[in-house]
Amino acid sequence: MSHAPLVSACAAVLRRDLTLAWRRRGDIVMPVLYALIVITLFPFALGPEDALLQRIAGGAVLVTMLLAMLLALDAMFRSDIEDGSLEQLILSPQPLALMLGMKILAHWITTALPLIVIAPLLAGMLHLPTAVMPVLVYALLLSTPLLSLLGAVLVALTAGTRRSGMLLALMLLPLCVPVVIFAAGAVAAAQQGLPWLAPIAWLGAALVMALVLAPLACAAALRIALDA
Amino acid sequence: MTAPDAVAPPLLEARALSFYRQDEPVFGPLDFSLHEGEVALVEGDNGSGKTTLLRILAGLLHIDEGTLTWRGKPWRREEHLGDTLFLGHHLGLKADLTARENLVVAAGLYGTRDGRSVDNVLADIGLAGYEDEPTRRLSAGQKKRAALAGLLLLPATLWLLDEPYANLDRIGIDMVNRLLEQHAAEGGAALVTSHGAVSFLHGEPKRVRMHV
Amino acid sequence: MANWIPLWVHKLSSPPNFYRFAGIVRPWALGLALITGAIALYGGLVLAPADYQQGDAYRIIFIHVPCAWMSLFCYGMMAVASFISLVWRIKLAEVVAMESAPIGAAFTFITLVTGSLWGKPMWGTWWTWDARLTSELVLLFLYLGVIGLYHSFEDRRQGARAAAFLALIGIINVPIVHFSVNWWNTLHQGSTIRILGPSKISGAMLWPLLTMMAATKFYYIASLFGRVRTDLLSMESGKDWVKQIAEAEGRA
Repeated sequence: MSHAPLVSACAAVLRRDLTLAWRRRGDIVMPVLYALIVITLFPFALGPEDALLQRIAGGAVLVTMLLAMLLALDAMFRSDIEDGSLEQLILSPQPLALMLGMKILAHWITTALPLIVIAPLLAGMLHLPTAVMPVLVYALLLSTPLLSLLGAVLVALTAGTRRSGMLLALMLLPLCVPVVIFAAGAVAAAQQGLPWLAPIAWLGAALVMALVLAPLACAAALRIALDA
Repeated sequence: MTAPDAVAPPLLEARALSFYRQDEPVFGPLDFSLHEGEVALVEGDNGSGKTTLLRILAGLLHIDEGTLTWRGKPWRREEHLGDTLFLGHHLGLKADLTARENLVVAAGLYGTRDGRSVDNVLADIGLAGYEDEPTRRLSAGQKKRAALAGLLLLPATLWLLDEPYANLDRIGIDMVNRLLEQHAAEGGAALVTSHGAVSFLHGEPKRVRMHV
Repeated sequence: MANWIPLWVHKLSSPPNFYRFAGIVRPWALGLALITGAIALYGGLVLAPADYQQGDAYRIIFIHVPCAWMSLFCYGMMAVASFISLVWRIKLAEVVAMESAPIGAAFTFITLVTGSLWGKPMWGTWWTWDARLTSELVLLFLYLGVIGLYHSFEDRRQGARAAAFLALIGIINVPIVHFSVNWWNTLHQGSTIRILGPSKISGAMLWPLLTMMAATKFYYIASLFGRVRTDLLSMESGKDWVKQIAEAEGRA
């Protein structure tokens, strides 16, 4: 008898979740479509005036991304709880936090990455200057994993409850306020020609912290919510 | 105390094990022991806490009162994760993955027994020809078999099987019994719950009675 | 349980003992809250002189500031009780944590309402994205999240433990939110009128403020103990001590 090495366990979890997402490709497209719809609504609500749209572009894209991610967040552990595979993951002789980290990574790849890819397009629809685009992408590359990590902890806490979309939004809001402030702050600063590195650096520091702590917190939260 | 030829301590021993939900006792106090090579049937009415007991032993629920020892030492959740396999009402199969893919993931997490591979356990369990079918399309009995294949593939001393006979035909039931006997012969142990009367192939199993 | 915890703490944390203790303390705390509150209101609304800049409008601080203080104090109490409940699985700590949340949320809400009432004469608008008010709003959402999570579980103890975990995440979040909101305020050059500037507060204004702070503390104790008593009764409804109380009440 031989226990599975850590690397192969990580690979197994990551590959499983990516395969599952690929088999349900339609679900990957949904958040992207949602973001597109929301961004399309802004000019209708505010009028097609370039200067105004340009001013709100960065913030609007960030908030839209956040909402689109929130939409997909609830599903992070839902099916695994329903079919019992989460129990098997908890009972496996592997560090749970690391396994959950892999699940969060897979979730980020399948929901946030497509959003980041179309973010420049969405920002372009609102006339964000091309020079600011890279800053927007940097901000998204740092803030979306943060949201996935923080969101995972909260989803884990609601694992033992009935469907919880609104509750999740309520719980996530206080946690994502700083993320939104710094991500949007970086874009706004770049747009005004001010130095934007500081907020990006803050996001990076927060991401490093979250990478270490969030999977551990997620494992603890899951144990509480499932009473293990 | 330290007689050299003393009988080996039981694999798993429970003393005065109790569990409460919202301060209402679910079961207990319960005493039982399980040695290597033993298969025990957990008996009790609906709601007597059979599933709860297995979930506690698997490490999914905490122990409220009583003690649990593993080979004479206090049982600790973290230390026995790889030693135990739990098969509950939810089989832990992803519907969008094939039986083979499901087993590959399980093997990645738990490891495999020496000399067993995903393909030969699927053949053993009677799923040859269905390896690459998404689990979603299998019948309830076939899904159960796919989950039981995991027992053959993954290394563990203690099996905790919650209603393993449900959804199985006669051949399937015999197969579960064969798996259990083979496991016991290899020095493993198992706790099994069942609603219906169960006849093992040879002899009477040990019984653990849950009384409310 | 850890053996360094003094015996009396252990004894007091048993539900029947705490139920009796809280029953004795609660009327006193409530009485003190009413008396000190009345004194503070008289001192603040009648005795204290009008502010030379704000006139009488400033008097709302005698409500606003103690409530703002309590909104953080309750969160602190909730977090401490949450920590204890998660580490030692003490039922009383779970109940205290979960019953502190609605009280804290109420104080936070009053802080927001009085803040915006004050904002009207001060800034000419009911709401401004001032750093402190915004932080207070986020705090309200934190409270509501904890309360919502607690009630979404069917098993109350499990819900309490999950919500306690959320409360602990929140206590890390509070300073981060405050820092980020401050940064955000400087970035966007919003209105930065401080509610309580470094200006000197005369003694005639200070003592009613401090008295009101004491009153809110007493009120918190009274309200918390009342809520905890009710909760303990319903959670332990199957236990003998509750039956004895029920029988005694029935006879009276």
